[in-house]
Amino acid sequence: MTPEPTRPHAEPGSFRDPQTRVFHADGEVLRGLGAQAAQDWKALRTSDFFARAQADGTLTKTDEVDRELPGEPGTWSATLRHEPIPFVSHPYEWSHAMRQDAARLHLRLLQDALAAGFTMKDGSAYNLQWRGAAPEFIDVGSFEPAKPGEPWAGYRQFCQTLLYPLMLQAHLDFDPHPLLRAQIDGVEPAQMRRLLGGTKRLAAGVLKHVHLHDSIQSRNADRSTGAVREQLRDAGFNAELVAAAVRAIAKLVDKLDWAPPATHWGGYRETCSYSADDRAAKQRFVDAALDAAEAKDLVLDLGANDGIFSRQAAAKAGYVVAVEADPAVVDTLYRQLRTEGAKRILPIVMDLADPSPGGGWASTERAGFAARAAKADVALALAVVHHLAIGRNVPLPRIVDWLAGCGRTVVVEFVHADDPMARKLLANKPDGLFPDYHVDTFVRLLGERFDIARRETLPGGSRTLIAGVRRD
Amino acid sequence: MEPHLAYLDAGSGSLIVQAIVAGTAGVVVAAKMYWRRITGMFRRKTPAEQTPAEHTPAEQTPAAATADKD
Repeated sequence: MTPEPTRPHAEPGSFRDPQTRVFHADGEVLRGLGAQAAQDWKALRTSDFFARAQADGTLTKTDEVDRELPGEPGTWSATLRHEPIPFVSHPYEWSHAMRQDAARLHLRLLQDALAAGFTMKDGSAYNLQWRGAAPEFIDVGSFEPAKPGEPWAGYRQFCQTLLYPLMLQAHLDFDPHPLLRAQIDGVEPAQMRRLLGGTKRLAAGVLKHVHLHDSIQSRNADRSTGAVREQLRDAGFNAELVAAAVRAIAKLVDKLDWAPPATHWGGYRETCSYSADDRAAKQRFVDAALDAAEAKDLVLDLGANDGIFSRQAAAKAGYVVAVEADPAVVDTLYRQLRTEGAKRILPIVMDLADPSPGGGWASTERAGFAARAAKADVALALAVVHHLAIGRNVPLPRIVDWLAGCGRTVVVEFVHADDPMARKLLANKPDGLFPDYHVDTFVRLLGERFDIARRETLPGGSRTLIAGVRRD
Repeated sequence: MEPHLAYLDAGSGSLIVQAIVAGTAGVVVAAKMYWRRITGMFRRKTPAEQTPAEHTPAEQTPAAATADKD
């Protein structure tokens, strides 16, 4: 007997374009198209451009299906089905090189689209997602046949969500994450102008895309876009100019490199306080725990550092998300994975003690980390509990609760208070501040939520590994 | 003229910057557009010349409204 299919429910992050909306049903990602969007789709799906972008995997695999979607009769003229993204990430969780590659792909697809007589309705970083270290354009509803003399409507959005964040990192060594996380529509030209004054005006792209942009924008604030479009067209604006503008932006994006500080990377391996024996034992333990895990489609490596255990997990699991707070470390890991063509490890930048909250409309337009982590099967929390418990004062019971929300199977490394790494953290806190910080206390608390499957202290004696299976 | 179905507010200023970003030919287009705005201010429009602009903001000043179209 086949189970009754669940009624598709609307994706909270898909509502801005009334002509298209994404729904989820039984693990499938469906997209409703209104009458106009369905017409655009018909033109798109028969184009060579679409076939190429499908074949090289840069545009999410899409086919048309016969499925009813919620809505008043006649709302949806066609339904598309997209290949699901294994783990949705947000632009404020990407490293610089990831953002640069995402921007490049967006522009490359736009260039190809323009050459084929199509354009894009928008230019948002949220149009892109990741399959491991490969960016993918997910918004198939974004393409429409280009109209003569029509500029690219997404230029401003592209500036705010991709170009400006790249400039902040490349020109100022300023991490744009806090701004992107706080402002769903990205950084405003006026904000950029204040940040990039003085000689920074001369940095690549700043004068035109920031200063001129802000001043022309404020001078034209009382003119409608419809009127300006018409004026531009009357003055001779044409498709070649759109292509030239996109080419110029693509060239600029290529220039906006940022080299992660070398000290971060070398530092990690050096600061490891455990021996080769400890490492080997740890690897065996993690392997055994993964082998025993009932499901391992999605593994979260919480506090992934250089990703060594993410790689190990990827050998056994479907998809691994490597979560690391240091943007430089994530950037280096991403570059390595990109070179290797890794499609099953997604590195993201996030502070575990301050994870991404829900954002945008009703705080649900962009799902917070907790909501996304809840879908994981396994959580690796290796050498991370001491950072949270000692470094960030998070009580052990709360850490256990948090772990229970990050996977059914957990593999935790507990660093004892006498380990050099823990001592280093404790040195910054008054003596006796954490009397409960002890492996036995932790195992007891973990045992309240999980069945402890295995426990092993590493040969060095100052670290204990625990594997547990959540009691559901 | 076809109606603009774009769901996104492209930003009127941003559209002009896009022309300038395109290089010399784009700067010429932007300059021409500004020139027409200036000369348009000194020219009285006949009602037939006035095409209703989409999404015209209610608060638009009469001066800006006449400058919208040459």
